[in-house]
Amino acid sequence: MRFSLNLITLSLLALSGNAMAMDFSVANANTSKIKEGAYQCKRCVVNEGYQGQVSATAHYLEQNDIHAGNAFGTDKDGLASSVSGDVHYQNKAGYQAAMQAHQVGLDNSFITLTGEKAGVFELALDYQLLTRYQADDARSQYWYQDGMLTPVSAPQYYQFDLLKQREILGLAAEYQGSFYDAYASYQRQDKTGNREAVMFVQKPIAFGLPIDSTTDNMNLGMSFSGANWLADMQYNGSLYRNNIDSVSLPYAYDAYSATPDNEAHQVAFSGQYRLNATVMNGRVVVGRMIQDDDLVTVSNSPIQNWDGQVDTLDMYYGMSSMLSNRLRLGGSVDYSQRDNKGSQFDFMQYSYNNLSGAFKQNLPLDIDRTTVKVNASYRLMQGYRLQAGYERKMVDRNYGQREQTHDDKLWSKLAIRAIDDVTINLEAAYGMRGGSRFNANEVTSAEENPLLRKFYLADRNRAEVGMRINYSPLSWLAVDLNSYYADDEYDATQIGLKSSTDVGYDLNVSLQLSEQVNAYGFAGQQWIKSAQAGSQSAIKPDWFTDINDEFINLGAGLSYGGLLQDKLTLGADYLFANSASDADTYFGLSADYGDYYSYSHSVNLYADYQVSSQFAVKLAYQYERYYDTDPAKVEIAHIPGLVTLGQFNHNYNAHQVMLSFSYQLQ
Amino acid sequence: MQRLFTKLCCGVIALFCVTAQATPWDKLSSDQLEQQLTKKFEQGLYSPKGADTCLMCHKKSEQVMAIFDGVHGNMSHSESPMAGLQCEACHGPMGKHNRGGKEPMISFGEDSKLSVSAQNSVCQGCHNDTEQMAWHNSSHNLADISCADCHQVHAAKDPALDRLTVNDTCTSCHTREKADMNKRSAHPMKWNEMTCIDCHNPHGSMSESALVKPSLNDTCYSCHAEKRGPFLWEHAPVTEDCSACHNPHGSVNEDLLNSRAPQLCQQCHIDDGHAGRVVAQGGQNAFGAGKSCLNCHNQIHGSNHPAGSSLQR
Repeated sequence: MRFSLNLITLSLLALSGNAMAMDFSVANANTSKIKEGAYQCKRCVVNEGYQGQVSATAHYLEQNDIHAGNAFGTDKDGLASSVSGDVHYQNKAGYQAAMQAHQVGLDNSFITLTGEKAGVFELALDYQLLTRYQADDARSQYWYQDGMLTPVSAPQYYQFDLLKQREILGLAAEYQGSFYDAYASYQRQDKTGNREAVMFVQKPIAFGLPIDSTTDNMNLGMSFSGANWLADMQYNGSLYRNNIDSVSLPYAYDAYSATPDNEAHQVAFSGQYRLNATVMNGRVVVGRMIQDDDLVTVSNSPIQNWDGQVDTLDMYYGMSSMLSNRLRLGGSVDYSQRDNKGSQFDFMQYSYNNLSGAFKQNLPLDIDRTTVKVNASYRLMQGYRLQAGYERKMVDRNYGQREQTHDDKLWSKLAIRAIDDVTINLEAAYGMRGGSRFNANEVTSAEENPLLRKFYLADRNRAEVGMRINYSPLSWLAVDLNSYYADDEYDATQIGLKSSTDVGYDLNVSLQLSEQVNAYGFAGQQWIKSAQAGSQSAIKPDWFTDINDEFINLGAGLSYGGLLQDKLTLGADYLFANSASDADTYFGLSADYGDYYSYSHSVNLYADYQVSSQFAVKLAYQYERYYDTDPAKVEIAHIPGLVTLGQFNHNYNAHQVMLSFSYQLQ
Repeated sequence: MQRLFTKLCCGVIALFCVTAQATPWDKLSSDQLEQQLTKKFEQGLYSPKGADTCLMCHKKSEQVMAIFDGVHGNMSHSESPMAGLQCEACHGPMGKHNRGGKEPMISFGEDSKLSVSAQNSVCQGCHNDTEQMAWHNSSHNLADISCADCHQVHAAKDPALDRLTVNDTCTSCHTREKADMNKRSAHPMKWNEMTCIDCHNPHGSMSESALVKPSLNDTCYSCHAEKRGPFLWEHAPVTEDCSACHNPHGSVNEDLLNSRAPQLCQQCHIDDGHAGRVVAQGGQNAFGAGKSCLNCHNQIHGSNHPAGSSLQR
């Protein structure tokens, strides 16, 4: 706690003699000479009633892979329709209402309704449909019904869609009093679909596990405010309910435990206090996560359900002070505790589906984290600001191969605004991770190769640099270049992840060529290289893998609104993305893991015609070309002793034509 | 197209010889500007007729008049500046600005020479609520990001408050994250089905990376509650930090993974000839085909099966 004491000392010093920051807030205004009665605002425009627009769209889709539905908003083939809108209402009495809808009718859509009286209350209702399409050609030797997997004989495999759909309904209300706000919200999320699951009964058997669950999230609280302070207390609750408990095979009951129901509760108190140019804030969050769902039936199990309970505590204190117009100091202390209070029992374990007679005890994991940060921001001269900071994160954990780790990081940033039309941001950081002796725990030490260093616990030196240049020489041109480099070295690791570098850039150009013509372009590339070593002999490293990840992203677009007396706007957007990962392994011989990449071309063309001041029609065309491959995806029974869902890679061209009619409310 | 091409060429040539138009008080240094504005603010010489005085000159500007399309120009909104000191509530007392427009007013955004903290003090005078409780220690505040860098007041709708455009606002600076949205696996950000502010609070928070929940894992659990547990058999890195294995902004690997199985798994598990065996080519055997290590250890986020210590069932 030495650091936190120093931080408190620092904050007291800051409080004792800091400079008043410039405060142009309306509460600080000198209004003694003002004649309010003359402020009639006759030239002001009063927008009462409804404003905004609503639109209806007819879609024609041609797609032979549901994966295209991610880009198109639906997996339907042929005709579809949707409505969108953004409407706002207000009246003289101070009541306001708004409605925003996006592609309602498609599988990725939302509608939000809000209503409020300024300074009194706010109400909101939100409905969202969120669908993620993975594949429509997954095939299984088994089909699922009511917790039982029934075998299907080849070649009549059971074919199904891999997709996840979330239906989210949210309600929120807020009441604003003179010095307090009271608020409450509720959200229900229903998840349906199918996901890829694997059951291990003598061999791994992949199957489509239906998703059928709900999550209820609740939030209620009150916040208070005074002249120089804020306070908030709130409760957050979350209940997860899975309607699938377990999965069996006709010859192996309860072989697979589905995700258990769980719930989490948190009570949070937070506040802020301002004293001159010093601001302090803090928070205490007390939480509990509970999981006591029934366990699947297993002979010799000592319990029917586990009393899984994790108590959490999060505490934060932060301060920031402007000591002068040039210098700002800040810092924070953050402590978080995860205390797993679940009971421990000895459970009989299987060895390849035969009772081995071996017992194992569950290990409730506890984690304590303390993070200390200090930072300073100093204006060197007009247009030059230097920031620097130090951070230390300390983690204590039980049953880990390393029970204590600490990460130290020094960082600095320099922002240059002194050059006309150019802003430059430079940053650099250096971090080191160390900790207690490896294999310090008797529960785990016997199982581990003594040369192994798990990457998230291992000693690591990390160096990072970055540069961003923004150049806006003309009112209609802006160029932005961002580049970065990071190097991780795990010098003490002989087996495990040994090094990783991440380097890349992003270039963005935007042009406002005239009042009617906009254009943009961007390009970005990233290379992530990592090296790891492994051991088959369980003694010393005898194989080495280099992983080379590459990503390229290109895009451009143009819109021209100067046709037909400025009533017609034509536009085009193009996006290309290519993701690739190569893994090369040397084990006396060299081998390439296989092709693992994806690419996509996305094109959007549109013509928007303003028929009248209220009506507009838009014709758009969207094209998606997508390809991916994965050497791990093999036919269902291609590998002896392994049952997969087949080769559901993607290779498609998909098209969508949209015709929209929109009406402007005035 | 010929006109367009000509204009583009002229623009590229002009790139090296033309600078942006200056404001009348652009010659003042930042300190001089702040001194003058502070003096004006303290004198409190507000205009005789409020917005009507300002609009005598500024009514022709579409950008100025757009204030009336939004909440800040709504006179019936009791908390709107237009229901109080009107234009001068934000831009400060007029003083002698109307005599030729040479006397400075408080202005906002990247072209303003006024310090960011002074600009932001105007907004924070009204927007001082618990949403902004951690602003002062936020990375945006330390980096001198002004409210006007993200928010538009003179508009019918602030793009930063619209779920269909807020991602554009964030990615205009966070270009690396913008690129990440297009990787092989990513949250559905590029179609605006998720937004940056679902996970991050741009005004800062008391959690790491300005996350909206007390911890990184809590933030993930808000949508992925099935991963929350606690499970009878826990997987230590899963319990400790979701980002140990996943990059939430996007990855060239499926499932937002930092590396694929088996390589990712073998960065931690080389305990015997089983986990440590070389898997040099994918699709050749059960260790490199299908879901690799997860073929057997399929409950990688935790198992609740009494016999699930190896996360197999």
